[in-house]
Amino acid sequence: MEKPELIKDGKRLDGRTPKDLRPVKIEAGVLKEAQGSALVEWGGNKVLAGVYGPRECIPKHGADPYKAKLKIRYTMAPFCSKGEHSRSGPNRRSIEISKVIREAFEPVVLSSQFPRSQIEVYIEVVQAEGGTRVASLTAAAVALADAGIPMSDMVSAIAVGKINGQLVVDLGKDEDNYGESDVPMAVTHRDKQIVLMQMDGLLTREELAQNIDEAIEASEKVYELQADALKKSYEKEERGKLKL
Amino acid sequence: MLWEKEMRVPNTAVVDGKTYATVLGMVRDDRFIPLELVYKPKPGDNVVGIVTNVRHAGYSIELNLPYDGFISSKFTRVSFQQGDLIYGRVKFVDEVGNADITDAKRLPAGKIVDVPASKVPRIIGKKSSMLNVIRDGTGCSIFVGNNGYIWIGGKGNLPLALKTINFIVANAHKHGLTDKVAEYLNEHGGDVKVPPREEEKPPEEKSGLSEPAEETPEPAKEPETAEPSEPSEGEPVSEKEEKDAGSSEEEKQNPIMHSKSAGAAEESGEVKKKGIDIEEM
Repeated sequence: MEKPELIKDGKRLDGRTPKDLRPVKIEAGVLKEAQGSALVEWGGNKVLAGVYGPRECIPKHGADPYKAKLKIRYTMAPFCSKGEHSRSGPNRRSIEISKVIREAFEPVVLSSQFPRSQIEVYIEVVQAEGGTRVASLTAAAVALADAGIPMSDMVSAIAVGKINGQLVVDLGKDEDNYGESDVPMAVTHRDKQIVLMQMDGLLTREELAQNIDEAIEASEKVYELQADALKKSYEKEERGKLKL
Repeated sequence: MLWEKEMRVPNTAVVDGKTYATVLGMVRDDRFIPLELVYKPKPGDNVVGIVTNVRHAGYSIELNLPYDGFISSKFTRVSFQQGDLIYGRVKFVDEVGNADITDAKRLPAGKIVDVPASKVPRIIGKKSSMLNVIRDGTGCSIFVGNNGYIWIGGKGNLPLALKTINFIVANAHKHGLTDKVAEYLNEHGGDVKVPPREEEKPPEEKSGLSEPAEETPEPAKEPETAEPSEPSEGEPVSEKEEKDAGSSEEEKQNPIMHSKSAGAAEESGEVKKKGIDIEEM
């Protein structure tokens, strides 16, 4: 198949320049029943995250006597995209993403404050358009903060990559499918630790180094939006409504 | 980042001589007020709980925690049954977070409301001011546990008490709340003598901020004068006992925070917060 032209006159398919993000909208505290929650609309992605806990670890023999266990479940809804997602629930891909998201949060969540318990994060991809794992991670970070789970740092995620020989930030679905490389990354805010990095496709060392720099820069923008969302959640009237 | 210098404050962590928040919160002077918090029991905390299990050596108590609290029958004369509501004090917390409870008494049938633990100080108010307003306004008797459980009972206007607590939780980050609650109660058919006691200092505000005049009955002395407030909000409800709980709590918290290799989760900018408060007043 012939490769489609993803960049024309320095503009991408949706008119963005290489360093532009898709429009990102983050809202915290959207679910009433969850302890903390967030909705992230990132381009065509719609991701909901809900946090419960710390609460009793189930099964009990799985409890860690020194720290809380972080349990993350990423699932895609059957209707989330044009591809085949016939049944929701764990599959090979979502198990992998759950794992990498968990490993991204394990260094920042201060889990030793809650021994023998578990913290659950449920992430539902309602609509997908490329880059759901970074959108999910961003949503999960906001939901954890909204739940009051102590964290040493905030995590922001962004994908970078290469399309038509050009390094770009925040790849959409077509760019991901037809581009040369896709590198989802998650970066902590304060000390810029990289807590998630995966790579699909090929990049040279130099390109990767440059990509990482761009990702760190772009994650700052995502962080701003996350912080903003948390502040805004206190303006909402229905904030903190109880179940009575 | 909260402060450039090293501070020993609960819910923060020190990295390289700078203090960072670990949870979402606000800064006022030298205090960090968490807006979202997961409750961790501390000795001296007053708690409301539900008896979930009667065992040989005592009672398991549901406390809104990952694991149940425990009342040893050695230290209590009262005997409880499964499903009883109790009000007690945390005596000891072991290293995995199990809480031993003493001084437990049985509460009569009532309603238990679950509120976020971070809002409890607001529901109690300075020296129980808020609580007294609610008690006055609704005629209910109320016990507030630091664990976020609130027991409401008695002959008063129960639905109104619930609504009021809901109102407080929804507006917990604003200031001048006691007056607003009094107003709210009067609007909804409670009867409160408009607060005779001296003004409550809103704990969440930067002190430089004055309150817009329209709403409060007596706005004159409301702002400023924020005396270097002792952390009295955390104080238990039950009138007489322990005023001494405060200091020991502090020490309990700090070593934990210090051992973390931690830093900032949120720097919820105070500046932003100010803006919000003004708009919504």
